[in-house]
Amino acid sequence: MVDDHAAVEKLARSRQLLVVGKSIQRLDSVDKVLGKPIYTMDIVPENALYLKVVRSSVPHALLKMVEVTEARKYPGVAAVVTAHDIPGINESTALLPDKPLFATGRVRFAGEPIAAIASYDPSVAEEAVDLVKVEYEPLPAVFSPVDAIKPEAPKIHKNGNIAKHMKLRKGNVEEGFKRANLIVERTYKSQFQEPVPLEPEAGFVVPEPDGSVTCVGSIQSPFHVQTGIAKILSLRPDQVRVIQAVTGGAFGPKSDEIPVDVLGMAALVAIKTRKPAALAYTREESMIGHTKRHPFVTTLKAGVDKNGKFTAWETTMLADTGAYASLGPLVVIRACFHATGPYVIPNVKTDAYCVYTNNTMAGSFRGFGGPQAHFAAESLVDEIAKKLGMDPVDFRLLNILRPGSLMATSQVVDEACGLEECISKSVKESDWYRKRKEFANITGTKRRGLGIAIIYHGNSLGPEGNDYAAVHMQIDRDGLVRFRTGLTEYGTGALSGLIQIAAETMHLSVGYFRLEAPDTDFCKDTGPTVASRTITIGGRATQMVAGTLNQKLLEVAAEMLDCAASEVESADAKYYQKSKTQRSVTYHELIEYAYKHRIQLKEAGTFTAPKCEYDPETSQGTTYLQYTYGAVTAEVEVDTETGKVQVERMVAAYDIGKAINPLSLIGQIEGGTVQGLGYAIMEDLVHKDGIVVNPNLADYYIPTSLDIPEIKTIIVEYPGPLGPYGAKAIGEPPIVLPAPAIVNAIDNALGVRLYEIPTLPDRVLAACKRAREAKK
Amino acid sequence: MKFTVNGKDYALVVESHERLLDVLRNRLGLKGTKEGCSTGDCGICGVLMDGKLVNSCLIFAIQARNKRVETIEGIGTAEKLHPVQRAFMEWNASQCGYCIPAMILAAKNLLDKNPNPTQDQIRRATSGILCRCTGYLKIFEAVQAAAEEMKG
Repeated sequence: MVDDHAAVEKLARSRQLLVVGKSIQRLDSVDKVLGKPIYTMDIVPENALYLKVVRSSVPHALLKMVEVTEARKYPGVAAVVTAHDIPGINESTALLPDKPLFATGRVRFAGEPIAAIASYDPSVAEEAVDLVKVEYEPLPAVFSPVDAIKPEAPKIHKNGNIAKHMKLRKGNVEEGFKRANLIVERTYKSQFQEPVPLEPEAGFVVPEPDGSVTCVGSIQSPFHVQTGIAKILSLRPDQVRVIQAVTGGAFGPKSDEIPVDVLGMAALVAIKTRKPAALAYTREESMIGHTKRHPFVTTLKAGVDKNGKFTAWETTMLADTGAYASLGPLVVIRACFHATGPYVIPNVKTDAYCVYTNNTMAGSFRGFGGPQAHFAAESLVDEIAKKLGMDPVDFRLLNILRPGSLMATSQVVDEACGLEECISKSVKESDWYRKRKEFANITGTKRRGLGIAIIYHGNSLGPEGNDYAAVHMQIDRDGLVRFRTGLTEYGTGALSGLIQIAAETMHLSVGYFRLEAPDTDFCKDTGPTVASRTITIGGRATQMVAGTLNQKLLEVAAEMLDCAASEVESADAKYYQKSKTQRSVTYHELIEYAYKHRIQLKEAGTFTAPKCEYDPETSQGTTYLQYTYGAVTAEVEVDTETGKVQVERMVAAYDIGKAINPLSLIGQIEGGTVQGLGYAIMEDLVHKDGIVVNPNLADYYIPTSLDIPEIKTIIVEYPGPLGPYGAKAIGEPPIVLPAPAIVNAIDNALGVRLYEIPTLPDRVLAACKRAREAKK
Repeated sequence: MKFTVNGKDYALVVESHERLLDVLRNRLGLKGTKEGCSTGDCGICGVLMDGKLVNSCLIFAIQARNKRVETIEGIGTAEKLHPVQRAFMEWNASQCGYCIPAMILAAKNLLDKNPNPTQDQIRRATSGILCRCTGYLKIFEAVQAAAEEMKG
């Protein structure tokens, strides 16, 4: 199979696009608006058992005893499973082999699974949970990464509390600080953000007569689940079939070990009882048991010379990954590379640590280290501008990355960098200079402010893993093109985007295509559906496979038209010889001819992105193959009496390379912006001594329809070298900038800076008080 | 107890502790109504009971006695979509889709009573239902578009 991307792109861009770039309706929307039974718990087999999980009530302890006899005897209980029932390896992990499926010997966070109870009646299983006797011997625990790295801290895992230390070294920061006229050093703190997919984790497992199992669930990455379950059950991966049900939101936690937890526990019951077994987390269980955004403590120190140019930047980041690493080590890699924001800095030193504590687990969540890094960096940049007496936009423009600049990794910025255009467009649309002047004159208790923040976001996995995707396409005799991939849809619309790319490549309308459910029995390993990589990497695989299939169609047409394949063109489902347009065959005639002559209309292929090469000691090299850029402004009203922050208007300008489906793209930007707004001003999963205080949606606030500002989206297109048609990643970037833009806007409104998010009213009032006292 | 669901009469014997949500999903097989939190905070189990949006996870089935319940299954079909359903598709107002049945019911209920809602009224009518994907703006636009279409 050929993958001459340059040639494909040249051809693709040489003609008018018919499908790509159009706002078509998503292929999955009709079932959703009709309320069809498509989600996991809608399709559980009738004779299924339901599981309830026994979880640890303490954050760190030796497990002296787990007694399940009484629970087993409870009327209606069909099975109780613990670590003793695992035929394979007691492990459910994302990256490091540090986490058991069921705790044995020791628990490391409050909420860790210890046993599971199954009954046909879920309320019976729930009653029996209380009958499991667990005896703990408490161990000293640690709840902050700052304390956990101290030598005297209790060790949570045998190799100590640092799961990963990522370093970046560029130039010489000591020399750089010597040249600085102004040096500012600050520490920033951010919180656990809970992803809150509206469908909590769910899955069911059906035992098959031949000893294999079929797993159906609300998941992002079927192949990770397959290998995970195979390990637990001691089966070969091909004996574990994983099918993704329609998934009601994910945002990260459904990509790694959490679906393995859910389906792993259900699978143990299924093989023990030979009955289908289902497990749906309650909201509380989901909020405690799945991974969330890492809280960071970030200390930044940056210097600028007399012209306002950066001379040096030093960063220390401590990420609280909780009791088990999950993908924390990769989160700190991404945070490390993005620690200095999209600026030219000659001397950089970054140390990012992924630290174990006895809090609940942090891991994958939309943004993946980017939000924490940019919140700190963009806050510091704003404060430096203020100290220099410069407008924050002007100061940024003096230092931003432009084509030819060197990033912190010394990677050269390519031509596909629309950062400056994003800034100028968002500044113009927000009426920046006039409003900043106007707001400065407001007095009284309701102040207004306008803030900005800017981003660069390395696309796809880069250094975080093998970056590949597989696509299968097959044309049925009636002309239907079945499209299958292991990449999953969980709300983003990206798979509909892939169909658009396939349709464009084959010059067919999307109506000919059908998206098949991801199923490990019917597609090749596609890697995880994470890192906003579906359109970029999956899109390349789609272009490749659809291109080859289309070539086959052209060859069949050539045979029918008795000419060379190179002479055949197609439009509106008709194939004709270029010079003789009056002779043509229809798409359906062609398909029928192929079937009669036993010509296979079936293709599959895997696209693998080039490897990113960099020095792991200094992080110098190529870390990502393409970057998304953006600028966001936020206009806020702050009540100085109550401390309430109301976001009134946001402008979000992103260089996304090429919009495959503009309407869907705006949906990603608006949704991500609002999730980022929640992160900025209200969301905080509070842990007190390792216990989650607010694991419910009454006490953990996410934005409602009444909290939403006007959001103006601006699409900037500087086609990138990696994605199809130059498309760049957009799933994650929009969640990153609201926090720094809003914090900067609060500073503009009050002259007071917050170093910790969320910007809850008490924090705003305390900052006001500090400012008043400082004035005295 | 007797009650009407989507225009159809039912007579059932229910336990006193059975939730309306469970009766709809498990006994009538109407899986369109979703469970998101079981504590009345997310609103995605919303159904209409005598023209009022209620959280079916907080309502005992017996409370629906002699009442008229409407769920997403009663709103439209693939062949004959309700204008609100069509507008949600056209405006990309549904992403993961999990909150959408309740959102559509809330929107339909609003438009049945108020054919010319302002954006503020749309915000209030949907404020009991959480959506984590869309950022709500496309939902507001879809409801407004449906209102226009329903006026003809």
